[in-house]
Order: sequence, then C-alpha cells, then structure tokens
Amino acid sequence: MEPDDVQGLEALYDAHRAELLRFLIARTGDPAEAEDILQDVWIKIRSPMGRPIANGRAYLHRIAHNLVIDRLRQRQRQMRRERLWTDQRTGHAEPGTEPADTSGNAEDAMVEREEIARLASALATLPPGARRAFELHKLEGLSHAEVAGRMGISKSGVEKHMAVAMKYLRRALLD
Amino acid sequence: MDEKLLDEALSWQQALAGDDADWNGFTRWLEADPRHRQAFDELALTERIVDERRDGLRRLLAATAAPERRRWFARRPLLGAGLAAGLALAVGIPALWPGPADIVYATTSGQTHKIALAGGTSIDLAPSSRLVVKGSDPTALELTRGEAFFSVVHDPRRMLSIRAGNFAVSDIGTKFAVNLTEESLSIGVSEGHVAVAGDDGQSARLAAGEQLIAQNAYLVRKSTIATNDVGSWRLGRLVYNDAPLGVVVADISRYSGKRIIVEPQLKNKRFSGVLAIGDGSKLLANLADLMALSYRLEGDRIRVSAAGAR
Repeated sequence: MEPDDVQGLEALYDAHRAELLRFLIARTGDPAEAEDILQDVWIKIRSPMGRPIANGRAYLHRIAHNLVIDRLRQRQRQMRRERLWTDQRTGHAEPGTEPADTSGNAEDAMVEREEIARLASALATLPPGARRAFELHKLEGLSHAEVAGRMGISKSGVEKHMAVAMKYLRRALLD
Repeated sequence: MDEKLLDEALSWQQALAGDDADWNGFTRWLEADPRHRQAFDELALTERIVDERRDGLRRLLAATAAPERRRWFARRPLLGAGLAAGLALAVGIPALWPGPADIVYATTSGQTHKIALAGGTSIDLAPSSRLVVKGSDPTALELTRGEAFFSVVHDPRRMLSIRAGNFAVSDIGTKFAVNLTEESLSIGVSEGHVAVAGDDGQSARLAAGEQLIAQNAYLVRKSTIATNDVGSWRLGRLVYNDAPLGVVVADISRYSGKRIIVEPQLKNKRFSGVLAIGDGSKLLANLADLMALSYRLEGDRIRVSAAGAR
C-alpha cells in the first residue's frame, strides 16, 4: 500500500522519476517531449486525488501513458482538420462532407462525422465474431470476461476477436 | 505495417489494461525497435478514437439497424388505441386479417386469461398481451405482443410451434414462458426443453432453468433463471435475472397501461430483482427506487431517465 496524499505522491514521483523518463523516451522517441510530459505528470499528481492509490508506481506510469496518447490524438486530430480544410479550399472535399463554414467547431464536427462513418463501415466488414465481441466490449461496455460469458467462448477467444477488430479499425481510420 | 508487429503491440495493449502491467517489460520492448513504438501508437490512437466516438457510433448503428429491428420483434403495440377500445373481458375474437380462421386472444392491462387448447395445451396470457391461434390449428400459435406461459402435455406425435417476432419456439412437452416487446424477445423454461430458431438461421436449445434474451440481431444471450421464477407474474410478482431495463420497462408498461419511454442509453442496463405487481400502478416507482432512475410525465407518455439527469 503506497501513500495516497499529495506529499506521498511527490516522494513517489522522485523515487520513480528516472524510470518514468526512460519509459517516456522509449514511448515517444523524443527526449525533449519526454521531459515535457514528465512535467505534465508532475502537475497532474499535484491536483488532489479522489481516491486512494493502491500501486503508486503503476499509477504514475498510467498517467504518463495516457498523456502520451492525449498528445498523439491532439496531433492526429490537428492533421485531419488541416487536411479537411485544404480539401475544402481546393475543392477536393470528399463526397458527403459539406463544405460550409471553416470555424473550429464545424471542422471538429466534420472530423467526428468522418471518423464515425469510417468506423461504421469498417465494422460492417468485420468477421461476425469479431464484430460481436467489439460491440459487446466497446459499445455495450462489457468486460472481456463478460463478453466471453455472453458469447460462450474463452477470454482468450475474446482477446483474439478484439485483436482482429482493432486491426480492421486501425486500417480504416489511419490508412 | 507488419502484422507481427501489430500483434505484439496488441498483446501489450491488452496486458497494459490490467492492474499488474509490466511497465519495465513494455519499456524494454519499445526500446528494442523503433517500429514497436509506431505500431503501438497506431493501435493506441485507434482505441482512443473508438472510445471518443463510442456514443456517436452507437447512435449511427441504432439508426441504421432500426427498420430491421422492428421486423425482428413485435409489431408496434396498440397501447392506447387497443386499451381505449376497452375489452371488458378477454375473449377469442376472429381476426379480420391474417386469415379468416385465425383465433385471436387479447387482454388489457388489468386482465389475464387462461386458454385451454385441444391436445392439452394450456396457456396463461399475461396482461396487455395478444396470442393468435393460426388457422385454428392448436399447434400453430403466434404471440404478437406481451407475455404468455405455456404448459404443453408431452406427445411425441405432435410438435407445438409458437412464433414470436422473427423467432419460432418449438416444443413437444414442457412448461415455459415467452415475452415479446417491440425490441426484444425473452424465453424462460421451467420444465423440459424447448428449441428456438431465428429466421436468420440462429438456433438454440434451452433447458429448464435457462432463459434466452434476444435484444437485436447481435445480442442474443443465454443465462439462468430459477425454474419457479418463469411466468412468476401469475403469482403476482415479476422476477428478473440480469434482464435489460428495456424488457423490464416494457413489462411495466403492460401492467400499468401507460406508455413508457426509456432513454436509449439506459435500455441495456441490467436489472435483477423482484417487483410486486399489485394493481400495476406502483411498479415504475419501485423500479426507479431500485435502479436509481427518475421519471416524468410527458403528455400521455412517461419518460424514464437516470436519477440526477435533467
């Protein structure tokens, strides 16, 4: 049991700083960005926590891990927005998108529509087992164990279905 | 992107979701090859987008699946119209459509009806329910709305078939209940076995103590139910084990005679518990207490939402 108060977390941070930095450099491939994110981890743990933390080391890693994904998402979203904007300006808008106002909100709405449409059409091409596992786990919010129970298959069977689903969706979203 | 790298990245992604994640091992894996990072980035990003778009995706899928779902399950009930017509007693009335010889049994919200068919089949029809005997053939039945409890005398020469939505339930001698709503079909068995076949080729065999709840083409689930809880409405109570809220509310709607609308995101919440039927008027208040729900009257309908929601 690790301490759950802010001071305890700060001590924990000091104890694991080097390890976290190594993780972040490996994770981002960029020492400067790794330092930035480490700063963000520090800021994040100083804001008061709602609940006690069972494993402080894992907690710090998870915060760092999520911050990396936040940044990744921000960057990718920015790229999508710029691409949509350029498409509109040059008249290469994809069919179905409505070139209207180019304020941030309208662009966000277009990115959202596009992502949902890509996800939905990729889902339609999934093998039935993978599709059902995906729907139960991601859309209905069931755990892997619950999905296994409902589909009458093993947990590792669910993991295999989910792996197939995530690969299909990766291709649909990012290629 | 190399399939093998993606598979490795996926197993790390799944491993990291647990509380006992091996962060050192993950760091070393990332350091071993810069392509590992790229594979992981792509999958993490995919997962993030899925999580962010979950609600929008659900709405889109629900909207595109709606026409099909309507065909799968009950016809839109005539709550209101049917009840306003106010049959004083449940009676067998010849229907004007599917065929001149069909016999239709219908009940209102305050009624139940016991039907005895030739061959020893006896049926308890729950309130606000409708059962059709096709072409007066006592082995070809259709439940078009609500719930019925069937008690069938064993006779291997004769197979009873009950259509409900886009499913057919068949049986040669058992006791079981079938419940049909606009969006779902539930079947519970208290004795013997029944076979269930969907029009799309899905099929299942249910034994005593098992129930099957189909919510749409993708959510057919089998679970357990105490045999004496099957058809428990006949004893004045509704007993649920892990039933979707949409099914529970449809039942309450039948017993209270009120049209009840459930916020879509609540429909799949699960309820296990017992509700005393009484005169039907307190069911919704009791459910709301147990499930932390709130409800309000909107014209002639009642809207159910999560407690605390506006």
